[in-house]
Amino acid sequence: MKRIIAQARKELTQTFRDRLTLTLALVLPLILLALLGTAISLSVTGVAVVVQDFDRTQLSRDYIDALKASLTFRVVPWPLNRRAEEALTSEQARIVVVIPEHFERDFLRGGQSEAQWLIDAVDANTANTMRGQASSLTNAFSAQHGAGNGSSTGQAAIKAEMRMWYNPGHDSQQFIAPGAFAIVLALFPPLLAALAMSREGEQKTILQVYVSSISAHEFLLGKIAAFFVIAVAEWALALALAMGLFGLRFAGDPTPLLVGTACYLFCSVSFGVMVGAAIPNQASAIQAVAGVQFLLSFLLSGFTFPISNIPAGIRWISALVPARYFIELARDAFVRGSGWTAMWHAPTILALGGMFFFFIAWRKMRHMQM
Amino acid sequence: MKTLIVNIRSWRIWPLFMKELRQITQDKKLIVSLVLPPTLQLIIFGLALNPEVTNLRLGVVDESRTAASREVVSAFVESRSFRVGDYYSSPDELSRAMRAGKLDAGLIVPSDFAKRRDRRETASVQLLLDAVDSNTAGIAQGYAARIIAALNQRLASPSGQESVTLKMEGSSGRRGSIAARIALLYNPGLESTWFIVTGVLGILLVLNGSLIGSASMVKEKELGTVEQLLMTPAQASEIIAAKMGPLCLLLSLDIALALVVGYTVFGVPVRGSLLLLCSAGMLCIFAGIGIGTFVATFSRSQQQAQLMGFFVNPPLSMLSGATTPIEAMPGWMQPLTLLNPIRHFSTIARGIMLKGAGIDVLYPNLLALLCFAVALVWISAWRFRKQLG
Repeated sequence: MKRIIAQARKELTQTFRDRLTLTLALVLPLILLALLGTAISLSVTGVAVVVQDFDRTQLSRDYIDALKASLTFRVVPWPLNRRAEEALTSEQARIVVVIPEHFERDFLRGGQSEAQWLIDAVDANTANTMRGQASSLTNAFSAQHGAGNGSSTGQAAIKAEMRMWYNPGHDSQQFIAPGAFAIVLALFPPLLAALAMSREGEQKTILQVYVSSISAHEFLLGKIAAFFVIAVAEWALALALAMGLFGLRFAGDPTPLLVGTACYLFCSVSFGVMVGAAIPNQASAIQAVAGVQFLLSFLLSGFTFPISNIPAGIRWISALVPARYFIELARDAFVRGSGWTAMWHAPTILALGGMFFFFIAWRKMRHMQM
Repeated sequence: MKTLIVNIRSWRIWPLFMKELRQITQDKKLIVSLVLPPTLQLIIFGLALNPEVTNLRLGVVDESRTAASREVVSAFVESRSFRVGDYYSSPDELSRAMRAGKLDAGLIVPSDFAKRRDRRETASVQLLLDAVDSNTAGIAQGYAARIIAALNQRLASPSGQESVTLKMEGSSGRRGSIAARIALLYNPGLESTWFIVTGVLGILLVLNGSLIGSASMVKEKELGTVEQLLMTPAQASEIIAAKMGPLCLLLSLDIALALVVGYTVFGVPVRGSLLLLCSAGMLCIFAGIGIGTFVATFSRSQQQAQLMGFFVNPPLSMLSGATTPIEAMPGWMQPLTLLNPIRHFSTIARGIMLKGAGIDVLYPNLLALLCFAVALVWISAWRFRKQLG
């Protein structure tokens, strides 16, 4: 035990001496969290719309006003003599709305007038949302101007009352920020641990460890303890930032998250130590950790899109990504708040994963020490 | 003509260029790292970032238990956006299952549903959506609205004397209606991979360029061979140019690779000029290498350069609109993306590949990319010279 503590203290002193590493450890996670939380969002507002009004009547102007009033769309000017599609190809607008001639006349005669919407569907997800917004805006406008609701069925037979649970404001930050929190903690603690571990290999100081009386598991536990402490500091800072900047609050019992955090940090630090033990070259170790952790935690953890959307052929990989379980935990703790009954599996899996990584690292070390 | 060739061959940059080229092609690890990770990244990005909403798990509480209520449930299932996860006997049970994350949505058909339908009143059902993932919930809401609307239409048409009378009333004197005729351009199948692949292409070019650019520069510094280079009569700018040229050639393989993967795996077309796309890609690579060498002038070792990369690469790739829409960023952040070469390249790539746009539309972005490339290379040459002078 004493040797473990001594090893951990040595590791901490060494880390605090290196200024680049220290800023990397404490500042960069915050920057990345702020970036991920603010820049990665899917709820678009203020989409640029070019309107070409060939009708120029009261009704068409009202329609444009309805467009302007919605938060989703932002009408940008476009000369009538230029082809409207050019606004789409040059990405100056995402949507072109063409109001044809006789728009008002047809409406007043009781026929159906059509406003043509051209949507840039390169971004399929946004286009899908825009399509829904376009038809609901038009239906509302049509109803407001004293007509039957388009289908001319009169009173609808069935009405759906929809409720958005847990996140009634449709706030996508509530979804992204807990995930960003997990990704930051997936990247930096193992990075530091891998750096420290591979430095021993690169600078051959590991030989001193071999000849000392410290045993493999004590050495590894000392390293893990040191970087666990740093990781906890990162966690606390990141949590403070997430609460301050993104307004995250605990929705229910926070203990699953707290226990899960301990397991998750242990897991990711052990992963770093394992990589560092396997690759005695700092540059390659950084690349390995960053590549694996970033790709897996960013893409296969359900951070932006649901895991069930990933094709089955590679979906199983996401079951092996620790960040996935921590994201589940964090979303539950901050948004849904269902507590232990729903979440007991996550800390368990994380702890098992941590032990697995530790075991591999220990095998590697013991093997070398003999 | 002959003198011209002799002239070009006698440029000092030539032997330097050949030396770099030989050095790079001998480095097997480098070549593998240029081919393997980008291919994998492109495929995983394309497969994993899929916003499509299908197979949502729907929990059903059917308090009515009639043919009419089953009709509603089957309308949801037929759409393939929803599948029935389980039936529950009370709303409480349903909400418990949702809380545990077992369901994405819940449908409650109240007990008076059939009665109201028989009386030709509007019968309501309740749909609960787990909005933790607000994007999916928003799209699911749209689907549900469309499902109900389609069901209403179907219910109205066979039985509907009412609707007929209403229609007649409508045509005699009352106002008509307004509909939105929506056309989805460039990607009518709403293939989400098209957006991702064209965006990730720019990220790959810039990030790989910067990674390799900084690595090859720092290696020279680390080994101390930089002094030897400086002993030669070549100037700093020539040394840098000779370093970048071969890297650029090599990285342009990535463009070809990405286009092939994009076409064969995801069916992403190239509707515009391939030549224009490749030249824009070269500019993008130049900008990437420029970023890499710039970072390299700040660091003494490989490991330091890589750690510095963490300060540069995430903002570059995230503030580019390559994988998420720019309109979703906060307003003050959106103009900042104009300073990002990846943003301009994704506009160009999407313009050429998907929209079939030409240089007449894309010239501002091409110009911006050119400016970045020149400025970055110039700044790093200047810093390099200052450090060694």
